[in-house]
Amino acid sequence: MIDEEKLEILTESAKYDVSCSSSGSRRTNKSGGIGNGSVGGICHSFTPDGRCISLLKILMSNECLYDCEYCPNRRSADVPRARLTPDEVCELVINFYKRNYIEGLFLSSAVFDSPDKTMELLTETVVKLRKVYNFNGYIHLKGIPHADGAIVMKAAKTVDRMSYNVELPSEQSLKLLAPQKTKQSLLLPMKSLNEAIQYDKLNKIRHGKVLPAGQTTQMIIGASPESDGRILKLSEALYRNMNLKRVYYSSYIPVVKSSKLPDVGAGLLREHRLYQADWLIRYYGFSVNEICDEQENLPQEYDPKCAWALRNMHLFPVEINTAPLETLLRVPGIGAKSAYRITEARKFSKLDFDNLAKMRIVLKRAKHFITCKGKFYGSDSFAQVKTALLIAGSNEVNEQLTMFSETSTALSALTGEI
Amino acid sequence: MKIFITDGTPSTFFTAVFDAFREKECVITSDRQVQLSFDSEVIRVGCDEQKCERVRNGIAKYDRLAEEEIALALRSCDPLKEQTAFEYIRKLMNVKAPVRKMLNAPEVIEFNDIVYKVTGETHRLKGFLRFMENSAGVLYAPYSPDNNITDLLMEHFAERLKSEKFVIHDLKRKIAGMYDGNEWIMGYAGEAEVYLSEYERTFENLWKKYYNSVNIKERPHEKQMKGYMPVRYWKFLPEKN
Repeated sequence: MIDEEKLEILTESAKYDVSCSSSGSRRTNKSGGIGNGSVGGICHSFTPDGRCISLLKILMSNECLYDCEYCPNRRSADVPRARLTPDEVCELVINFYKRNYIEGLFLSSAVFDSPDKTMELLTETVVKLRKVYNFNGYIHLKGIPHADGAIVMKAAKTVDRMSYNVELPSEQSLKLLAPQKTKQSLLLPMKSLNEAIQYDKLNKIRHGKVLPAGQTTQMIIGASPESDGRILKLSEALYRNMNLKRVYYSSYIPVVKSSKLPDVGAGLLREHRLYQADWLIRYYGFSVNEICDEQENLPQEYDPKCAWALRNMHLFPVEINTAPLETLLRVPGIGAKSAYRITEARKFSKLDFDNLAKMRIVLKRAKHFITCKGKFYGSDSFAQVKTALLIAGSNEVNEQLTMFSETSTALSALTGEI
Repeated sequence: MKIFITDGTPSTFFTAVFDAFREKECVITSDRQVQLSFDSEVIRVGCDEQKCERVRNGIAKYDRLAEEEIALALRSCDPLKEQTAFEYIRKLMNVKAPVRKMLNAPEVIEFNDIVYKVTGETHRLKGFLRFMENSAGVLYAPYSPDNNITDLLMEHFAERLKSEKFVIHDLKRKIAGMYDGNEWIMGYAGEAEVYLSEYERTFENLWKKYYNSVNIKERPHEKQMKGYMPVRYWKFLPEKN
């Protein structure tokens, strides 16, 4: 059985990977087996940094051939090293899963021996977990760049989700900070996995689908000079061309000292704004060009939707009882859920301002941009609107995401655990 | 004013709905602490299969999904749950069509709120429930939820842990669901004595180690942790004790 020290080393090394969602897979349990997928995802615990624990996030090994500047496990770092055997991983997963500590496994690894060897051992582990240990719960596997495509495809048929991390938002930064990884070594496998997924979709394959929960990726924000506009352009392209489920942004924390890296972290607000913009692209029908110019950063003081609305005051106010869903989604303060509720409720009767309040639609921002039965309750002066939004926004940043504390399946889907 | 008191089961509730339906002003409750006023007339309702069936059919006629929603609402810890469900049924009977999307009607707002709290807690506890293994290899999960949701969790875990044996024990209501590897039943359960398997502490410690290692200390955000994982659930979480 795995000892505590090994577990600690390999968890510490894995924790900077942001992704922890367990949604998107409907894998069913087989007789004699253990585990199934829950399509909305389930969080099993939360750590004091506010992140959820859904999957057992662990590295197979942290012995690395590569020397990426930002990485605490890079070859030249002086840290304790450890490696697990497939059986050690499987036993731990089964026993944690049985006790309902976790929803599944997120297995990643440093590149030891060679990329092929690493990918082979990862694949051997997940295949063993499925076939020998009969595990049908969620598995997220990290792809190893430069590994042989046939091994990757074998893994993809076994697990629910895979991710190749693009690491940095541009090729130049990748060259500078992660010289052994190339753009092609990250994007090509992503592309061929996407083709396999699309093939299954086109042919309506139901059983033994490749990656039922799709692919994700992650990049570090603030370790390199790219603007938010550029980062979002890249995300948009990844969503469009690779059909990714999520792009994760990880604000840079200086854990490693290097002359090539900044001394200060990027801060949580920048990360938060990027996620907000990312949501606008995926769920609210915005394109990056509307939100942010390529050379610019997102404004710090307003959320990106407010900032867009302030630049487009001529489009407002909109009438709550007649505006189409796409327009409602563009009103600051009205989220996807509220917009949907409005469109449903107004089928039965016209809504006034009090109705909206009773339906718990948050109006502190929205009131400046809507009319109810033709009546306007906001402020007429542009300067006053700006101030009001600023105040509304400052509370929100303090609370960040705690307003979603009443989570349910539908809401976790909306807030993007998908 | 008439006050119909039920024993908390769906069938007495539906019987009470039948009796109360023609009353102008009345209350249905299973709450023994209900406040009486000088003009209140207390009626204890038993279960009448025929009345119950007629109400059920009446509901199904206009909305075949409503009965399941009402069953969810009746699991709530809200003292007004019966009254809220009753008013929802009245609304349904008046409109003569599904009302769940009349998101602007007070009866619907209140009813949806109650259902949302029940399904929300069920979803959370699918994650926060913790099993421990006893010396006979049976998994045991004590907990004390706000709402009466044990059978909903049984359904979830019987699928997930198909070939295990397990018990989910609601300490607050003194009831437990038991699964023997084949099917599950609900029953009364007072106190339980558990002899842990020899590996139990080892895995519990490994889990605690994992929990502490995966946290990023440079980014503390306790408020968010507590928002997502309310402190009242911590009692049964090994990583929080």
